[in-house]
Amino acid sequence: MVIANIVILSITSRRHHSASSPGPVLIGIVAPFQEGATRSIHFTGDIWRHYFSLVSVARENDNLRQALARAVQENNMQRETTLTNQRLRSLINFTKTISDKQVAAEVIGLDPSFWFRSVTINKGKLDGVLKGMPVVIPDGIVGQIAKVSGHYAMVLLAIDRNSAVDAFVQDSRARGIIKGNSSEQYRFKYVLRKNDVQVGDTIISSGMDGVFPKGIRIGHVTDIVRRNSGIFQEVTVTPDVDFEKLEEVLIILTPPQGSFPEAK
Amino acid sequence: MIFLFYILITFCIIVLQTAVVPLFFTTRGFYDLLIPFVVYAGFFRPLAEGLSLIVLLGLIMDCLSASPFGLYITVYVWLYAGARWLIRFLHAHSGVVIFFTVAVGVLFENVLWLLTITFLGGMEIISFSVIVNGVSRQVLWALFTGPFFLFGYMQIPRLMKR
Repeated sequence: MVIANIVILSITSRRHHSASSPGPVLIGIVAPFQEGATRSIHFTGDIWRHYFSLVSVARENDNLRQALARAVQENNMQRETTLTNQRLRSLINFTKTISDKQVAAEVIGLDPSFWFRSVTINKGKLDGVLKGMPVVIPDGIVGQIAKVSGHYAMVLLAIDRNSAVDAFVQDSRARGIIKGNSSEQYRFKYVLRKNDVQVGDTIISSGMDGVFPKGIRIGHVTDIVRRNSGIFQEVTVTPDVDFEKLEEVLIILTPPQGSFPEAK
Repeated sequence: MIFLFYILITFCIIVLQTAVVPLFFTTRGFYDLLIPFVVYAGFFRPLAEGLSLIVLLGLIMDCLSASPFGLYITVYVWLYAGARWLIRFLHAHSGVVIFFTVAVGVLFENVLWLLTITFLGGMEIISFSVIVNGVSRQVLWALFTGPFFLFGYMQIPRLMKR
């Protein structure tokens, strides 16, 4: 049997590449199944691998999102720091232009009512703040101290209807009273018709009210009405200060002249 | 105990409306958040408790505002009296009453303020459009958010009992 087997093998091994052998046919029959099986296994393998990779991608995505959120937050903080830095620098530069002693304060609260305008600041009597003292920022006049406690004070904004500032037009020196009206604009009252006032003119404090130092910006003229009758013209002034965005202010530590008894 | 709890809540509301709300509503169009509380006190709290609380709130608000001193106390006391008068005729738990009273209260507060300003001689410098815009915006906000505040206050006694 062994010898016969060896003989057969030696004969068939010589016809290995014969075209008439059944090998190619069988391969043709089996191979599609093999291919199907292989593809199925690869497909399953791919799904399995992708599932795990998706899980890891999802985790990585979560981590990246958190990292992005942190980066955005840090970026916002840095931007905020930069803006605060700019504001404080302009405040410091502004203080050099005022000869009187000043103290900087932060706005911590706004007036709860719609028709009256005031802000609460974090400096009070213990910081040398007294009722009637002027409050300013580099953009212009903010208002006047109206109420004071130990560490806090209330500033009556120049835009409030109870506020009035003696002022004049920077170019023509036409004088009048800047009056708040609790909206976004001032009225420049008691300006004589004969005085030259133009739209765009800058209005500054005159220093004659004994509260605000002379020459501090208030706003610019946006509308003028000259009626046929009357001795005054109606002038509307838009403030240079954005009262909705007040954050830091300067209190000029000069007691007002004669207005408030406690200031003396 | 509940009185102190009310003081704590209203104190939080005062801080909210003077320091937090202005950060989100820079155009100053939001209404007085204490109005729902005043209405609630008028509807549901005993006279002594409600009135003392209302006067205290008015006093705090008068100190924080640039308005003439006593204006907030006046507004709150009148509003409180109005609310107490109203529940003689209407059912306080009614949905319609809850829906409209805060808005009516806000309107009443604004009318009283404007009357005061007129009396003080400052009305000439307020334009009609500012009045209409300001009041309508506040009333609309009160109409849509006021009932939630009122409903929230109504839950306080139940929470305290637990």
